[in-house]
Amino acid sequence: MLRVTLFTFSLLVSLPGTAAVDVDELISSAEKVAYYSGEDGRSDARMMIVDSQGRKQMRQFTILRRDIEDNGDQQMMVFFSRPTDVKDTVFRVEKHADIGIDDDRWLYLPALDLVKRISAGDKRTSFVGSHFFYEDVSGRAISEDSFELMNETSENYILKATPKSADSVEFSYYHVSISKQTKLPVNIDFFNQDGVNYRRVEAIKIEEIQGFPTVVRSKVSDLINGGYTLMEFRNISYDLGLPDDVFSERSLRTPPRQWLK
Amino acid sequence: MKNRLSSRTFLTMMLLFVTLNTLAQTSEDEWDMGDWSEEAVESPIFTGFIDVSAGNRISSDPVIDGAKTLRDIRLQVQWEKLLSHSSLTITSDLYYDGVLDDVKLDVREFAWQGRLDAFGEWGKYFDLKLGQQVLTWGTGDYLFLNDLFPKDYQSFFAGRNDDYLKAPSLSAKLSGFFDWGNIDLVVTPEFAADNYINGDYFSFFSSQVGSNIAPGFEVNPPYLPESPEYALRYYKTFGSSELAIYAYDGFHKSPSSQTSEGQAYFSELKVYGASIVSPAFAGLLKAEFAYYASRDDNQGTDPLTPNDQSRLLVGYEQELMKDVSGSLQWYLERTHDYSQLKLNSLTPEYDPNRSRIVLTQQLVYRLMQQTLTINAFNFYSTSDKDGFLKLRVDYSPVDQWRLATGMNLFYGDDNHTFYNQFEDASNFYASFKYFY
Repeated sequence: MLRVTLFTFSLLVSLPGTAAVDVDELISSAEKVAYYSGEDGRSDARMMIVDSQGRKQMRQFTILRRDIEDNGDQQMMVFFSRPTDVKDTVFRVEKHADIGIDDDRWLYLPALDLVKRISAGDKRTSFVGSHFFYEDVSGRAISEDSFELMNETSENYILKATPKSADSVEFSYYHVSISKQTKLPVNIDFFNQDGVNYRRVEAIKIEEIQGFPTVVRSKVSDLINGGYTLMEFRNISYDLGLPDDVFSERSLRTPPRQWLK
Repeated sequence: MKNRLSSRTFLTMMLLFVTLNTLAQTSEDEWDMGDWSEEAVESPIFTGFIDVSAGNRISSDPVIDGAKTLRDIRLQVQWEKLLSHSSLTITSDLYYDGVLDDVKLDVREFAWQGRLDAFGEWGKYFDLKLGQQVLTWGTGDYLFLNDLFPKDYQSFFAGRNDDYLKAPSLSAKLSGFFDWGNIDLVVTPEFAADNYINGDYFSFFSSQVGSNIAPGFEVNPPYLPESPEYALRYYKTFGSSELAIYAYDGFHKSPSSQTSEGQAYFSELKVYGASIVSPAFAGLLKAEFAYYASRDDNQGTDPLTPNDQSRLLVGYEQELMKDVSGSLQWYLERTHDYSQLKLNSLTPEYDPNRSRIVLTQQLVYRLMQQTLTINAFNFYSTSDKDGFLKLRVDYSPVDQWRLATGMNLFYGDDNHTFYNQFEDASNFYASFKYFY
């Protein structure tokens, strides 16, 4: 360990400002910090959706998450409490990190007592009407893009990401700024085929919770029409020891109240 | 209960109720997002909505006076009490039905639901839901094989929200969760019938009369069963596939049988079935089978009681492009002892085919950031040469309200077939819903 540190140190001293950054390791740790903090976690969330005409909508929900393995498969439950229209609706995801296997998704509609399996869809469609995509919430697999280091400032590394399968996404490439200190992605700018920056995802406020740097406020903006969505997280905690059976059909109909308070 | 209030008075009372319930609402700076402050403001005691809906027949029905098919002013009130490991929920609709000029109370849910941990070690494997509740299972879209919980076809035909396709029942549902699979047992102590088409809003074909009738009839005991219904489901997930096995012991859900005196009644029915849902290609593939054992007519010789049937459904759905999803279903009703049915039939010209086949197609298009949803669902029977097209557009750019408009169109060649008998029920409607 000491040897490695010394080696790194000497490298930095001998080559100031041009330190080789292991891009693979950087994006892998960014993915872990952004989506895999702790073994599991819970958070209350609130979104405000503002359309281009300034009309507002709100969504309030609680998220429970459990990692099968870091940077790997995950289980997720989203319990909606507001607005009235979606109250008690529950969304369940079994996320598969292998991009060859589609995520399994279910929706519980309380008025009909209906558990609806949802077909694997485009992950880059709106999450419950917001400017966030499903993929922004569950995390886009880093194996879907090729990354190159573009630039670095005193605070961030700036990488350019190009999709390996260009026709599966609406963007041509994106720039992601990763904080040197926390390894969290703090700004992502998406560009279309004409090189126009049309969409931005940004971390507005970061706090350290149980030692994990955590985005507590984020914003997605449609830079073309001016609409945006704010998302705020509260009552966040990690490593609760959430049992496997919380992430099941049972919890759709009978929510696990002790983890939702 | 006969209406003694004018619809205007009724609406005014509802608005007053909603205003009182939401007086404390505020909105501040951008990140404040309303009342989500550190010391949480008390949530409203009640949630719910007011809905005003109206629909008219496209053409007139010779046996029903008037063009109205839907005239609702509806208040839904939901109240929920969270206990330590359980909850108590009441969801109730009070509405003025302008077609029948009646005020009605529809208790959608009045139930206690919880885990049975408190009753010992075994209890942690069981959940119980007791009381008035809506129940659903099975895999079909708008086609039900093993789901014998009550449906409300009057609402479905009139264009009320899909939530009202299912009618509530007073039931006990015990659910068990084990490594070897999950079990649901539903006991409905007193038979809960469908809200079937009886002539109140829409006329239906009578094979005795040879044309449509609208008697607005009700079936009462002893012809309405007062004994229990039992429904059982076992289900388990294998990888990404979900397998289920079902059983039902009860009665036909509509009064499709007749005594020799011509009295409609609900004859005995047992149903056994299975289903599977699995990801396939780029979407979801599903298949469901059910055997309907019509206990009062085992041999199929009684022309006044439905024969046994096998029902089979195969469906596929997938996202076709961004924000557009589509589904297809193929559905078969195969009547058993068909030769006996033909031999004993009193009205052979109106008998159903041995195999009734229905194909359904659905397209859902969400646009404008999912605030506008266009939904087209078509049933077409290749054996009956008839069909039912449902079109609906929902628009909700804010949380407080939703506007919907749509059309229910029945079509076909013969006046006695399953869908086309409702040709004069074809209607268009609009509704406005305000959430509080």
